[in-house]
Amino acid sequence: MADPALVASDPFVHRFLLRALAMAVLLGVAGGLVGCVLLLRRIVLMADSFSHALLPGIGLAYIWFGPGHAGLFAGAAVAGLGTALMSGLINRLTRLQEDAAFGSLFVLCLAGGVILLSRQAAPVDLLHYLFGNILGVTGADLWLVCATTCSTVIALALFYRPVLMDTFDPAFHRVSGGRSLATHLAVLAAVVLNLIAALQAVGIVLALGLFILPAATAYLWCERFGAMLLLSAIYGGLMSGAGLLLSWHLDLPSGACMVAALGSGFVVSLLASPRHGLLGRLLPTRRHFAHDDGPEDCATP
Amino acid sequence: MSADRALVCHDLTVCYRKRPAVHHLDCALPCNGLVGVVGPNGAGKSTLLHAILGWLPLSGGSITWDGHAVETRRGVISWLAQRRTQDAGFPVDARTVVDSGRYAVRGAFAGFRDDDRAAVEAAMAEMHVAQFASRPFAELSGGQQQRVLIARALASGAQVLLLDEPLTGLDAPSADDLLRRLRDWAAGGRLVVAVIHDLAVVRAWCSEVLLLNRSAIACGPTAATMSEANLARCYGPPPEIGHHHG
Repeated sequence: MADPALVASDPFVHRFLLRALAMAVLLGVAGGLVGCVLLLRRIVLMADSFSHALLPGIGLAYIWFGPGHAGLFAGAAVAGLGTALMSGLINRLTRLQEDAAFGSLFVLCLAGGVILLSRQAAPVDLLHYLFGNILGVTGADLWLVCATTCSTVIALALFYRPVLMDTFDPAFHRVSGGRSLATHLAVLAAVVLNLIAALQAVGIVLALGLFILPAATAYLWCERFGAMLLLSAIYGGLMSGAGLLLSWHLDLPSGACMVAALGSGFVVSLLASPRHGLLGRLLPTRRHFAHDDGPEDCATP
Repeated sequence: MSADRALVCHDLTVCYRKRPAVHHLDCALPCNGLVGVVGPNGAGKSTLLHAILGWLPLSGGSITWDGHAVETRRGVISWLAQRRTQDAGFPVDARTVVDSGRYAVRGAFAGFRDDDRAAVEAAMAEMHVAQFASRPFAELSGGQQQRVLIARALASGAQVLLLDEPLTGLDAPSADDLLRRLRDWAAGGRLVVAVIHDLAVVRAWCSEVLLLNRSAIACGPTAATMSEANLARCYGPPPEIGHHHG
């Protein structure tokens, strides 16, 4: 447990905490954006597989290059992208579908990663990668996250149209000359990079929370893709930061608090969203009918 | 627009999973009309459409539109799938769906110009979807969604529209409405090719028909082509050929 005097002090005077706060906000913004694409493309669980598949890459990098962050991130990137490639090949060359290939590979990768890390590192290191430690991040870690977040925002702004078209209707995107496979691979690459960026902060186990919870929350409120992206990014950034500050004041694990803070808004939205929440579905609303212009106006001349 | 344009398949062979699903097909589908593609299950109807779209390689022969190989005319051919390929829960309004037809023309980065907006407005007016332009796509009825998707294809500048069983899931008034709009659109020098199972619908709405069972059994004006003899050759005896689906 942390020193009670430290916990009670103003968090904004501590440089390491400011660094962690900046990282939480940046991760929340990027996670919120990537999460929207994952949710709408229905590949959330594939992203979960990715996060577990990073572990053997970290293990091998630890063995070969030591505990330096650059090596570990490179190892994670190779493992994540390798898993994506392997799953694609298994899907095309065997009877297995892509989700089954991902599912099979990720448990293998997780087991391999645990074995590798348990042989080489102290148990605390293993827990560090499983659950993260955002308060221990360095300036270099922050720059990595900053670069990843900026890249994600810029890439999504530039490729907004292909992402929208391919996510809404991949067949039409293809007919129109769009590069559906390239778009899919770019999305997977963005997932891997953002997972790696989140590894240090929240760890492999909770990383998906930064992606899916802001996106699911925004999805319950928004009727347009652009609005969903915006709300998800803002909500992700704010609540990740709030969760970190909460963890500081309550002396609780930071990664878990960030995910819990993101989850609190999700639960409220699940109940209270007027159009898509539980209460909205259970209670009769006049708004819906007022908005409707008839069951079918196909007879319009 | 020329009235002489046609989608022509010459000695066409297309394989699906290494087996010829369509072989030595010769047909000419003229513009200004709604062409029905008719045949039993496994006759190669969807395979033919996929080959026209360039999704399946040709094992032999050629496909041309307006005298040019279809590979060089990609922008003019659009498609509406048998099963909905759109994500039903995607947060998007009807106008944005139609706008995305122009994205196909403009590419990823170019700004939306006045002529893009005009094309979108014209397509929405033609398919009578302007009145629910701001409504979420997911909340529209099946018939309305079909019309929005066709408006998207029109906005993209398509001259040929391929539809694989477009009437699936539509009630009779919605189906009639859709067919009327397609026929009217095609009358302006364009072509609609639709796989339709209901032979009564084909007789009522299609100007031309292609009877297909791996190769062309017959192709031409609907009344003359859909003779009992041709249908029997297409579906094979016993001629229980009316109103089935699948």
